[in-house]
Amino acid sequence: MKRLFRIDYLPRVEGEVGITAEIQDGEVTVRAAVFEAPRFFESFLKGRHYSDVADFTARICGICPVAYQMSAVHAVERIFGIEVEEPVRQLRRLLYCGEWIESHSLHIYLLQGPDFYGAENAWSKREYLPIAKKGLSFKKLGNRILTIIGGRPVHPVSVKVGGFSKLPEKKVLRSVLPDLQKAYEESMGEIERAARLSFGENQMDVECVSLRDPGEYPMNYGNVASNKGIDTSMSGFLDVVREHQVGHSTALHSEMRKDGLWNPYLVGPMSRVNLNDEKLPAEIRARMKECGISLPITNIRMGIIARSIELSYAFHEATRIIRGYEAPSMSCADFKPRAGEAAWITEAPRGMLVHRYELDDSGYVKDCTLIPPTSQNLGQMEIDLRDFIRSHLDKPVDFLRKESEKIVRSYDPCISCSVHLVVREENKTERPPHGVR
Amino acid sequence: MKRPRIGVFKFTSCDGCQLSVLNLEEELLDLVGLFEIAFFREATDKPLRGHLDIALVEGSISTEWQRSHVVEVRERTRYLVTIGACATSGGLQALRNWTSIEDYKKSVYPSPGMIETLPCSTPISDHVYVDYELWGCPVGSDELSETLASFLLDKKPGIPGYSLCMECKRKGTPCLLVSGSAPCLGPVTRAGCGVLCPSLERPCYGCFGPREGANIDGLLNVFRKKGLSPHECSLLLDKMNTYSYRKARSREGRL
Repeated sequence: MKRLFRIDYLPRVEGEVGITAEIQDGEVTVRAAVFEAPRFFESFLKGRHYSDVADFTARICGICPVAYQMSAVHAVERIFGIEVEEPVRQLRRLLYCGEWIESHSLHIYLLQGPDFYGAENAWSKREYLPIAKKGLSFKKLGNRILTIIGGRPVHPVSVKVGGFSKLPEKKVLRSVLPDLQKAYEESMGEIERAARLSFGENQMDVECVSLRDPGEYPMNYGNVASNKGIDTSMSGFLDVVREHQVGHSTALHSEMRKDGLWNPYLVGPMSRVNLNDEKLPAEIRARMKECGISLPITNIRMGIIARSIELSYAFHEATRIIRGYEAPSMSCADFKPRAGEAAWITEAPRGMLVHRYELDDSGYVKDCTLIPPTSQNLGQMEIDLRDFIRSHLDKPVDFLRKESEKIVRSYDPCISCSVHLVVREENKTERPPHGVR
Repeated sequence: MKRPRIGVFKFTSCDGCQLSVLNLEEELLDLVGLFEIAFFREATDKPLRGHLDIALVEGSISTEWQRSHVVEVRERTRYLVTIGACATSGGLQALRNWTSIEDYKKSVYPSPGMIETLPCSTPISDHVYVDYELWGCPVGSDELSETLASFLLDKKPGIPGYSLCMECKRKGTPCLLVSGSAPCLGPVTRAGCGVLCPSLERPCYGCFGPREGANIDGLLNVFRKKGLSPHECSLLLDKMNTYSYRKARSREGRL
């Protein structure tokens, strides 16, 4: 007997994605149908000046524009041989903290959170409202950091190759400290709340991949590492990863080569926490222990725990950076454009974001590659959905549909990010009739 | 009084303008009290039913399906408001309009034949009647609140059509065009950002699109005198509002 179910358009995720599952004789095929319209970023970046790259790629995603700006400027700085001053490096990290706070609290409180409380959104259930309010106040604080450094929370404007167009005033930065302290304390309680949510049993044997840096929890620097033995430079990673077109699907998936085989892998908060927990402050690690959180986390539904840990960390780290901040001698380094090619990876809220550029000697883009975190997770997400459905075949379709939605949401996919590699379904009639019905 | 029904829709975009709605933060919860959020896929599971008083529309039209969907949204809606550069002006992705879409597809996708997209990315107003256009990349949150508040007060929203220079002067921000040699688009660009870039010592790069009656070629002549090539000049305009700047130039009869 053949059964088919479809989620036309998944609510409470960033961007446009649906799911089609086909069940026949106990075999399950799952397609994550991404139908966000393509925007061709890699095409129109060609011929543009290096100074446009950060602003343009930021427009790939309104939720993680800083990630795009960070990967872009670091890649270009590598080509030009620019070393930024330490305070500039710290300010960029602070900016990233702002984005992690904004993006993680959006996902924890507005997107995934309602799932654990049987709510359709963050405001419809009275018991969830105080939790949502706390989340919104966290989010606001993240946005405040973004605004102080970059002028506005979505597509901030001060980041440029070599540094910043203008540096924030120390006293303005310090004005955030009391709120950061308060949020940090509250967020420690939130780690416990997340740890106490109920998660179904679901162990994944997946390769977790993230940056790893000897000195700090990874954001802008590090090598690419995994729990299954990968340890390579950023450019080395590009040699073992490919964007692969899957016959049955609408989207390209990233896969990593290992022992001659191509395998899916997982990036994002869960991978980062699993691989870098010893870089977290002792206080947060003690808190994790108190809450009974044991690493590695191998159930993606518990990604909300990893995200809550990182939220606390971002408050802690932002506080540390602001306390120690002294302005650099200049806001932007002196440099001359030169031809070359380089790749750089930074840790977007949702995981590793790869940029590669080839510039000509006047600094115009000749070629580029962008690999967003979501496309790296799509393969694993489909496997996870398939395995879940396969082990719950006796359940009604409505249950499978609801639970599948929750699984997808727990990956925190950012579909707008993955646009450049979105391909429509071959069979037009199968196209999900998304939108108004 | 029955709460007005509001819907938030997405076409081709980065989600940043919808996020600006969510970024109203605590105001968002007030909003929930004042309006009925009838449709907002990014935030709630609720399917769309019935008519809407306001539709906030993000994103440009770039596929065949979107072309018919936007008509459907229009038919259900009393006031349709576009939010941000994509919906109001076609967005960054409208850069494809000035080149061959086939080349674009080939350079990004291994199987270009499988990609379904229109050759051009166009603003919502090219397809249906739009009641109010909110500019910006992303949309300005003040303009967003102003528009929603105006609806409740039954008045016309006060969205400025004058140039960024006006705002700059009012704020007393030093002019980057006069004092430095920075190619600032302020004179031809709409106010609305609150002098974001000039305050951060960066020339305006045109998030809010062309102001009414902009003399774009006049400004480009100034840039030329400062040593920019014609190519560099056109790259300055070909960003998130490329479609509108080019349209404004052709209205001047110089393109």
